[in-house]
Amino acid sequence: MKPKGKEKLKLVYTYILLIVWAGFVLFPIYWMITTSFKPKLDVYLGPKYVPWVDFKPVLQWWHRIFTVEREEIIPPLIASTVIATASSVCAVILGTMAAYGLTRFRFKFGAMRNRDILVWIVSQRMMPPIVVGLALFIMFRMVNLLDTWVGMILIYTAFNLPIAVWMMRNFLSQIPTSTEEAAMVDGASRAQVFFRIIIPMTLSSLMATFLLCFIFAWNEFLLALILTFDRAQTVPILIASQHFQRGPQWWDISALSMLAIAPVVVIALSLQRYFVRGLIPIGK
Amino acid sequence: MSSGVGNWPEPLGTILHIAGEKTKMRNILGAFTGKKAGRVFLLPTVIFLLVLTMFPFLFSLSLTFGKVSFIGGLSIHFAGLRNWAKLFQDERFWNALSNTFFIVSIAIPVEYALGLGLAILLNREIKGRAFFRVLFLLPMMLAPIAVGYMWRMLFNLTRGPINHVLLLVGLPGPEWLTSTEVVKYSVILADVWQWTPLMLLILLAGLASIPREFVEAAKVDGASGWQLFRHVVFPLLAPASIAAVLLRTIEGLKIIDKIYIMSGGGPGISSETMTVFGYSLGMRAFDLAYGSTIAFSLFINVLVISLIFFSMTKRFQEVTLE
Repeated sequence: MKPKGKEKLKLVYTYILLIVWAGFVLFPIYWMITTSFKPKLDVYLGPKYVPWVDFKPVLQWWHRIFTVEREEIIPPLIASTVIATASSVCAVILGTMAAYGLTRFRFKFGAMRNRDILVWIVSQRMMPPIVVGLALFIMFRMVNLLDTWVGMILIYTAFNLPIAVWMMRNFLSQIPTSTEEAAMVDGASRAQVFFRIIIPMTLSSLMATFLLCFIFAWNEFLLALILTFDRAQTVPILIASQHFQRGPQWWDISALSMLAIAPVVVIALSLQRYFVRGLIPIGK
Repeated sequence: MSSGVGNWPEPLGTILHIAGEKTKMRNILGAFTGKKAGRVFLLPTVIFLLVLTMFPFLFSLSLTFGKVSFIGGLSIHFAGLRNWAKLFQDERFWNALSNTFFIVSIAIPVEYALGLGLAILLNREIKGRAFFRVLFLLPMMLAPIAVGYMWRMLFNLTRGPINHVLLLVGLPGPEWLTSTEVVKYSVILADVWQWTPLMLLILLAGLASIPREFVEAAKVDGASGWQLFRHVVFPLLAPASIAAVLLRTIEGLKIIDKIYIMSGGGPGISSETMTVFGYSLGMRAFDLAYGSTIAFSLFINVLVISLIFFSMTKRFQEVTLE
């Protein structure tokens, strides 16, 4: 029998460590949020920490973003939303189909079996984006896809497909095939099985996969940096370019960065249950 | 003068007629039922990856032996091994390579150790576990560009809080982003902040998959906390550990976004990584062939490291892939 006091002490230490890490995680985010509400002088004259105590928060910069800077900011926001959504939908649909194929059929392309095909697909994600990025710049230029939504949707779909296939394969391999077989005995086609049985059964996994793809596409930087410059410019590119154009206008860029962060945080917090459950198979 | 299937010469008309029948909706769906049905599911993904990843990859490889010119339209000439010869003599390349490996070789072990520690803390049944878990996973979801910006503000010498606090407690604050010595560590710190959560996530999943009986049995046998960890939990966690470290190493080797914002590769080229170097030569200096050569040499490094990982851990492959 261990003394109870020791367990209690252990618990106290656990909480202390957890709270310290929580502080480390939160402080940079806190700093960015407060900076977007600081008056100019309070940014210039050294660090100010607590709103209403150290400085008087102002809404000026947020107001500015949606008025003066509107024309600069709205198009990238729309582009990012459309590109990330469309590419994630494509990646999830195609990825689920591929995962279904890989878990329900036996393939043999030359020496490649299911496992090799899966490894081949997943390994595409390991390729450094700079390798394909420079080549894509020339390819997209030839077919007029440079700086277009369509081009970005295509490349982000390809970018997310390995993850979508990997995640959906993990989910689908856990679903027993008996329901499908029963349906097919009753005369259902593969397509019917896929759309009427598999899709409804895996809705929460599809959601998790979609969200992960969306976040990757929404945050992606290098490919957008190489392949867009105006019409299809995404939010990360906007932030980076503002930073270089205006120098240390921290309040402004903080507000902008918050715009880039907010959707992802909202998604993560409201759908955390899907998220944690959906991501678990990665470590399997 | 009306054109339609009926107006064609007889054999062609028949073929077109049959083709028309074949493409009726029912028959398209019918393709899902045949023996080759599996291919219909798999093919779109394979085609996508062949066109948008494999082809650019091979194109990039061919560019490393070429010279790209945009003067008077796009033209690509064969240049033999000139780019590769230039690369190996380029001091900036060796600098970028060593910076990349320096950052990865410090950041990834730190992230792993912290992620493991946090995973063990969060694996216990304690109050507020769900809250801490969501909070701790947050950084990895944020746009790296925004994260780079956060740390740029925090590291600022006069307006940032870090050096301000250090000054208050009487410590000399380092020149986080303006010293060629310190800048790499600053980048590492930001990377640790953002990516420890991924290690945590994968290791939490790994811990959850360890059968309770193993741990209970070891406890019954009188194993101490440390022995339990050293001889039961840690070995059983190996597949998750390897997956986490491999994933982060590969991603870490490609780092650009945070550096782009925090230091732009500077001061000088002291924090320039392979991707930053490849980007600035490929797109800024607009030497696409040389940029591709740099990118490709990064790919070779990623490949070699992945292969080392895989051969080291062949016996775990069953567990990680099945």
